[in-house]
Amino acid sequence: MEDRRIGVYVCNCGTNIAKVVDCDAVSDFAKKLPGVAVARSYKYMCSNPGQEMIIQDIRELSLDRVVVAACSPRMHEPTFRKALQTAGINPYFLEMANIREQCSWVHDDARAATDKALALAHAAVRRVVHHEPLEKRFVDMCPATLVLGGGIAGLTAALELSDAGQPVFLVEKDDHLGGNLARVDLTAPYLDSARDMLADRIRRVLESPKIEVLLRSTLQSLSGFVGNFRAEIRVGADGARTVDVGSVLVATGFREFDARRIEHYGYGRLPNVVTSFELERMLREGRILTRGGRVPKYFAMIHCVGSRNPEYHGYCSRVCCMTALKYGHEIKSALPGAYVYDLYIDMHAFGKGCEDFYRRTAEMKTMFLMYAKGTTPEIVPSGPDDDCEMLIKVHEVLSGEEIEVPADLVVLMVGMEAREDAADVAHLVSISQDKDGWFIESHPKLDPVATTTEGVFIAGTCQAPKGIPGSVAQAEAAAARILGKISRGKIEVDAVFAEVDETRCSGCRMCNELCPYAAIEYDAATKRSRVISAVCKACGCCVAACPSGAIQGRHFTDRQIFSQIEGVLEWASSQG
Amino acid sequence: MPEKKLQIALYWGAACGGCDVAVLDTNEFVIGVGFLVDIRLWPIAADGKYRDVEAMADGELDCTLFHGAIRNSENEHLAKLLRRKSKVLVALGSCAHLGGIPGLANQVTKQEILERVYLDNPSIEAGNRVVPLPSTRVDAGELEIPRFYRRVYRLDDVVPVDYYVPGCPPAPEQVKAALQALVNGTLPPARSVIGASNRTVCDDCRRRKEEKKVTRFHRPWEILQDPDRCLMEQGILCAGSATRSGCGVRCPDSGMPCRGCYGPAPNVIDQGAKFVSAVSSIVDSKDPREIERILGDIPDILGYAYRFGLPASLLQRSIR
Repeated sequence: MEDRRIGVYVCNCGTNIAKVVDCDAVSDFAKKLPGVAVARSYKYMCSNPGQEMIIQDIRELSLDRVVVAACSPRMHEPTFRKALQTAGINPYFLEMANIREQCSWVHDDARAATDKALALAHAAVRRVVHHEPLEKRFVDMCPATLVLGGGIAGLTAALELSDAGQPVFLVEKDDHLGGNLARVDLTAPYLDSARDMLADRIRRVLESPKIEVLLRSTLQSLSGFVGNFRAEIRVGADGARTVDVGSVLVATGFREFDARRIEHYGYGRLPNVVTSFELERMLREGRILTRGGRVPKYFAMIHCVGSRNPEYHGYCSRVCCMTALKYGHEIKSALPGAYVYDLYIDMHAFGKGCEDFYRRTAEMKTMFLMYAKGTTPEIVPSGPDDDCEMLIKVHEVLSGEEIEVPADLVVLMVGMEAREDAADVAHLVSISQDKDGWFIESHPKLDPVATTTEGVFIAGTCQAPKGIPGSVAQAEAAAARILGKISRGKIEVDAVFAEVDETRCSGCRMCNELCPYAAIEYDAATKRSRVISAVCKACGCCVAACPSGAIQGRHFTDRQIFSQIEGVLEWASSQG
Repeated sequence: MPEKKLQIALYWGAACGGCDVAVLDTNEFVIGVGFLVDIRLWPIAADGKYRDVEAMADGELDCTLFHGAIRNSENEHLAKLLRRKSKVLVALGSCAHLGGIPGLANQVTKQEILERVYLDNPSIEAGNRVVPLPSTRVDAGELEIPRFYRRVYRLDDVVPVDYYVPGCPPAPEQVKAALQALVNGTLPPARSVIGASNRTVCDDCRRRKEEKKVTRFHRPWEILQDPDRCLMEQGILCAGSATRSGCGVRCPDSGMPCRGCYGPAPNVIDQGAKFVSAVSSIVDSKDPREIERILGDIPDILGYAYRFGLPASLLQRSIR
């Protein structure tokens, strides 16, 4: 153990680390540690010259272990592992000491931050001595995909996958395909027909020999792991299907905000206060009438119903502003004499073509009235002399005046919210939800359709409110990710996972319910528990819980962790 | 019959004497042993003075069975003396092995112990509240008693130990097996645990084990237990899953939970930590307040988890 040849590389990260931590002091300190053959400090270890430096040292100085004191391993562990591999040693002979996020970014005191960096470097050197060579493994990838949700996202992904020749099981809870988009008339900003958009896709899906559509169906359970999932599906009232799939795409969409929750808008009580989806239906049917059967003259759209209000949902639902503008167009083309008022907080017209659409709508003499965030317009009965059903009182922000506008039909622009069954779906497929109930992507910018469960993807409005282009783009992105996995044919399984030593397992079953990834199986015949290594995410819960010490985490053995802790403590005690 | 009788000693440190009883509980076997060995020291059952031991040549004893923890200077002195005089030193029972019940005193300071025992204890009669000192001057001269240590040690902490026989007390059949191996010269490699298996009590337990989800912990007498089902699943704290086997599952078979006296499973460093971790893993709630309520049913988790091994744990003692 003591005759290890360790290389220690201290990254300055430009000035990110070096401005607080004395990087030269860290490398000088590391040089003197037992087993350390070389220690260097460099401006950017992750750069090509930085990696080259490590590779060259490994080859020329016969290094067998490497410590990189730099950023979080989440950032660059794969980079440096690759460097080790290129140099011809096992990539798991690397240990990173995080002296950026854990030192320079969180401390001002240069002396103390440097001391902490020394302690962490010492810990890493002590730990890396005990690193064992680990090999990645591969399992077969099942080419079929389970798509949950037959809305525009699910349909799009199913077509992309089937067009590439891969089988798809499309599970839809409703008795028809189309999802929320099937309830829409025209779409903003180009006023294309939603019906036309959907009809073609639905026809192609139904005709595809590669896609099996399961209507009135719900996922009951999902077991297995990326490349090898098994899904139990309830079909209709009492049918059941079991399908084997390699990937899962969750495209379960949204539900509309329940306008009853904002009581003073009177939805459900006032006959001519309707939701945007109810107006859509009138538009689709070509009959725009008040409850009394009269053709309305005055229309008022109230924006942000349930959105951008901390009492309901703090987020913007993204599509309602343009949808409201679209109503202006549709109403004025159906009823040229009608007046349209838009009561809005901010006009969010950020999509392609949307700002032009806003300008054209304004030119059509839609009246825009701005109300303040945190307030709500008030709906009051009209007087006997008014020629309208209701009056809306609003404090108009731009003019600063109290304004009353007439309304025969008040349209509440209801926002999107996570579906009532989102938590169940999340649990079934082992993904997470954010505070608003939307499914969480692997990375908000760089990995927007993957999730923390490998092989499970998300697309469309189940991830966050978005319009059709965003949903379609995500569906296609997810299909591309899935096809990429299928084309490789094999799934790489990380070499870091928990293992049960069956000669030590007592079958006590403490670990069985504990695994957040359902990676632990109990074998009733042998009375032993077993970790399915491909499913394991190496979180370590079972390792800690196993009372007989039968479960060990590869790359996180007791020996390695204790050495690391001792490294910190020894450094601290050497300082007195 | 060996040509020369084996020379052995049995000695106790901080102990209750239960391990001596376990040796005697081998019944006729121990009498048989008497024909094969010379017992040179056994304070509870035979004669023999410290000075006799001091007079022995180094390594003259073939074996010493040492039970009890190291609590004071006398314990340590005898441990070192017997170590020097013995070819093989065996830590017999939980106290010598891991610190045992006396080791629970490592939760409090020496000062607190002395005050509790000699000053605050309600059974002490007024006017007799005296804390004994290591040395006292009396008319006849200077009297000395052993120095009381700040903490309890296991035997291993003061001298190198060759074998460990766990248990509080060790099962008589295991004591018998260890003595037999000694007599026959069939001891395993040094520094190993003997008289025990390499699995846990849970593994040997005949009770049915299912998935564990506990919403309430009970003391054993609080509920009518299902005699065939895992005690943990019934909310009775049982250390069987975190405890080395070899005892014959005597406690769970008698309807009592395992208390952990055989120590950690092989490869486990800290039995108590493992046990606490296992207990917290089976609490069936995700609500912090409910979890607190469920775990609140356990009156003394430290005392339970480390009942026999606090000095041998990572914690070792409280530092104040």
